[in-house]
Amino acid sequence: MKKLINNRWTPWIALAAAAIFPFIAGAIDANYLVRVGGVIGLFMLLGLGLNFTLGYAGLFDLGFIAFYAIGAYTTAIAMRAGVPAPFALVLAVLVTVGFRALLGLTILRLRGDYLAVVTMGFGEIARLTINNLDALTNGPKGLQIAPWRPLNFLSTDPNIQYYLMILAAVALGVVASARLEDSRVGRAWIAIREDEIAARLSGIPVRHYKLLAFTLSAAFAGLAGGLFAQWEQFVTPESFVFWESILVVSIVVLGGMGSIAGVLVGALVLVGFPPLMQWKLSADWINYRYLFFGLILVLVTLFRPQGILPSSRREAELTS
Amino acid sequence: MSAKASAPAGRVLLEVKDLAQHFGGLKAVDQVNLTIHEGEIVSVIGPNGAGKTTFFNVLTGVYPGTRGEILFNGQELRGMSGHAIVAVGVARTFQNIRLFAHMTALENVMVGRHTRTFQFLLGPLLRLSSFKKEEKAVEIMAKELLDFVGLKSLGNELAKNLPYGAQRKLEIARALASEPKLLILDEPTAGMNPTESQDLVALVRKVRERGVTVLLIEHQMRVVMDISDRVFVFDYGVKIAEGKPKEVVANARVIEAYLGKEGAS
Repeated sequence: MKKLINNRWTPWIALAAAAIFPFIAGAIDANYLVRVGGVIGLFMLLGLGLNFTLGYAGLFDLGFIAFYAIGAYTTAIAMRAGVPAPFALVLAVLVTVGFRALLGLTILRLRGDYLAVVTMGFGEIARLTINNLDALTNGPKGLQIAPWRPLNFLSTDPNIQYYLMILAAVALGVVASARLEDSRVGRAWIAIREDEIAARLSGIPVRHYKLLAFTLSAAFAGLAGGLFAQWEQFVTPESFVFWESILVVSIVVLGGMGSIAGVLVGALVLVGFPPLMQWKLSADWINYRYLFFGLILVLVTLFRPQGILPSSRREAELTS
Repeated sequence: MSAKASAPAGRVLLEVKDLAQHFGGLKAVDQVNLTIHEGEIVSVIGPNGAGKTTFFNVLTGVYPGTRGEILFNGQELRGMSGHAIVAVGVARTFQNIRLFAHMTALENVMVGRHTRTFQFLLGPLLRLSSFKKEEKAVEIMAKELLDFVGLKSLGNELAKNLPYGAQRKLEIARALASEPKLLILDEPTAGMNPTESQDLVALVRKVRERGVTVLLIEHQMRVVMDISDRVFVFDYGVKIAEGKPKEVVANARVIEAYLGKEGAS
């Protein structure tokens, strides 16, 4: 298994297979799965983002979905004000990162459970604010935005277009994560996660690096939120409930904290399986998704406490 | 006993003046004055709870200190954060080993190089040539240090899987990676058998040969007598004696601190 993950061709084959999938899905009557694939991709992005905070730096965050919401609403509001769609996405990333930095500056003195509780609170505050700030967000009625279909030359199906754009974003996110992980910055984060005091007394400015991980993770959430808004052409506060934050945390923890491959597999399993059951078995199965979710949590905790695909450290050539 | 008689001639590296660390009413460290010279190996000894580790924690910025000065090469360390103290040239190890358990031995040492390297976001993200060059240099130095402490072949092992003695040495290698002028070792031979202790003593001497001054807390008297140029004795947060190892063990106050008044008389 480890060999398969570390093989240099594995990511390319996975990427190629994922890129071809929507074009052959029609042939096997699986168009529904293209849509599911897009949603899985959004959660892969969220998982990759949270992996910086939770996986690398070890900071618990139970309100991550708030930044997905900020990204989605920023995109919606900007596009309704006439900002071109690509710029709206950039704006979404910047605004999300800005909010995240402000939050980080105020709460990163807290650790462990205390941090988890405060971020959870922030998640709820964000949702309630969106729900009640009618002037800006139109409250529970949500915001509608005009369609943006930049990939018409490939397919006229919006699901396929957004599937491909999300796939590209995930690929970019994986490369960025892998490169940062294997660098001075990534080592500093992991050192902080392993032992904060030893990290500081090894010369790492701990607060700066925590803030950096915390802030960078929001770029992924902002991008995912923006793509989500443009795909759905509609945003409401209902999409950003506490449960979704838990789902993202579960993706990172079940996949393997700090493991990029783990996050991808975690999203695939947790987000992909319930709709797959619904599709293959019957529509009723969606009612059992929490049961399924609990079962996976219990099984992984029992048999693979390090996660489905735990992170492994790079091996150096020692003989030279 | 005169401290001045036994003070060596080297340049002053660390000067501690009237240092105190109080926790509420508890004076964990109080009125500590001492001087360490370049190239020395100096031990701090004293009964359990004498304030030795607290003293080290104030030196390295873990505790802020309540009063006094810590002058390192003339620069005030008190008030500086822990990572900045590493940057000016003071590195340390811990009494209860604090490695980065899920990183490899080599990576642990590479983390120690943090203050002497610069690559931030763009270098790693775009794999710039400056980044690759720096990574290469860090890796080469980390390997040299692993070799220096005798762990060359264990570089790819996770720190948590290393044997106890190797973990202690790895902490020293990680500390040396920041190129300290002063290395502070908190009970480096704790839990070691006599052979392992001998091994560590030899390593500490080798560290000094690199031009690094060493300050250590040590409980095994055989080790203290063997490697120390000078010894400071702490009791109840106060320095009660200093001098050459032989002078210190003959000191009545020191014997009293360890054995009580009966033993001293």
